[in-house]
Amino acid sequence: MAIITISRQNGSLGDEIANGLAIRLETQVISRQYALDNFYGNLKDGTVARLNESAKFFTNPIGKSDRTYADVLVERIRQLASDSADSNLIVLGMGGCIILDNFPGAVHIRVTASDKVREKSVSRRYHISDVQAREALMMGDRKHKRFVQTLFGKDIADSSIYDMIINTDRLSVDECVDSIAELARKHDIRARLAAGNDFAGTVDHQTKTVSFKNDTEEEFAQILNLYNIEWLYEPTTFPVEWDDEGNVTMAISPDFYLPHFQLYLELTTMEQKYVTKKNKKMKRVRELYPGTNIRIVYKRDFQELVERLRLFGG
Amino acid sequence: MDNLPRALGTLKVIYDEETIRARVKELGNQIQKDYEGDELVVIGVIRGSMYFLADLTRSIDLPLKLDMIGFSNIPDTTSRTGVVRIIKDIDIDITGKRVLVVEDVIRTGLTTAYIIQNLEMKKPKDITLCTMLLNPDRLLMTVPVKYYGFEINDLWLAGYGLDIDEVGRNLPYIAQIRKR
Repeated sequence: MAIITISRQNGSLGDEIANGLAIRLETQVISRQYALDNFYGNLKDGTVARLNESAKFFTNPIGKSDRTYADVLVERIRQLASDSADSNLIVLGMGGCIILDNFPGAVHIRVTASDKVREKSVSRRYHISDVQAREALMMGDRKHKRFVQTLFGKDIADSSIYDMIINTDRLSVDECVDSIAELARKHDIRARLAAGNDFAGTVDHQTKTVSFKNDTEEEFAQILNLYNIEWLYEPTTFPVEWDDEGNVTMAISPDFYLPHFQLYLELTTMEQKYVTKKNKKMKRVRELYPGTNIRIVYKRDFQELVERLRLFGG
Repeated sequence: MDNLPRALGTLKVIYDEETIRARVKELGNQIQKDYEGDELVVIGVIRGSMYFLADLTRSIDLPLKLDMIGFSNIPDTTSRTGVVRIIKDIDIDITGKRVLVVEDVIRTGLTTAYIIQNLEMKKPKDITLCTMLLNPDRLLMTVPVKYYGFEINDLWLAGYGLDIDEVGRNLPYIAQIRKR
């Protein structure tokens, strides 16, 4: 599952990237047009035109209700995101990054390009002169800015509201789609794991940088990389024993989590016969957290792996 | 056959030709039953699976399609271990098809996991594994092994596709060899 919001400057290939992502992720783009077609029932032509032209009109109540067009927009987009547990969602424009701010697993992208490139792109696309393109861009930029400012009181150009900003001057649509899809996929793994930790009562230990405790762990990570197997380092701590006051007295943080295989691996550099305590902890994890797939990589396993890689020609 | 066992330093026969033949026949019958009426693509992993693949598929009486996949460790200047890459990809379209991957032996399951991950990107209906030999005590990865010929332990083995430094695959039975 990926939830991606895309804010774009006009003429920056933002629409093309959103469409490319939709094809890649087998979903559709939730754009302003989609919102007007689907969020408000049957709108009169005049209302559609005013919603298209005026940001302020979004703050008007719908009919005699006390809810505004903006309220419904926010509510429906958040609902779509909540319903996207097993599917993908792409929200184009409409201040999606603000609507889904802090939404678990969502990534917020801003697509930009230099004025010169945007002008050329727009003039070519609409068969207009560079001067006309410049004017069109100025008006379009102002309209986008006003929409977000009016509805959410935020500046669309504020870089702090985005996770990634892409300048398409030298990048193709495909390159951008690849990067965004991969970012969304990895971010979703972390978000799901964090949610799983919340649910299971385990401690979320995901950090932004990896610091291995010893060379064996680092070498094992290299082996996983060799096989292109995705891993997270010590993302979860499983409490396995508590005192009378409920304080954790024993816990285990498996060294690796392989999201694709939903598998925790704990490395040990000790001989197999000396790992009784670790085995006991593993057993407790399986008892206390049913469904958790956890295995020990013994010293012998590890050495055999390294040996096989040597024979294999690595 | 004397020269090859001598060169390999075989210690004893673990599974002789007759035992292998009978077990492969059993596996073939089971697979035939499980996949009857489905579009089955059998993919052998180069090079170890070739004898097993040849015998197994000939004991499955279904209009299956056959392909092979090969991978290798490519040295990488930026890492000590290099990277594993597919060097012979499948040519048959497996989208929406049922896939059976055939291996000679699964130990840790790392290479198998790599192959499965790659095949999954081609969106088959499902992927199942069939291996001649399986070492369950060493299995680290959760890979979908449904069929296996025999369970093994940590012995050094050669024959029936298994090699040591690329030698011994053509031994018609599986033998224990001296540890190198």
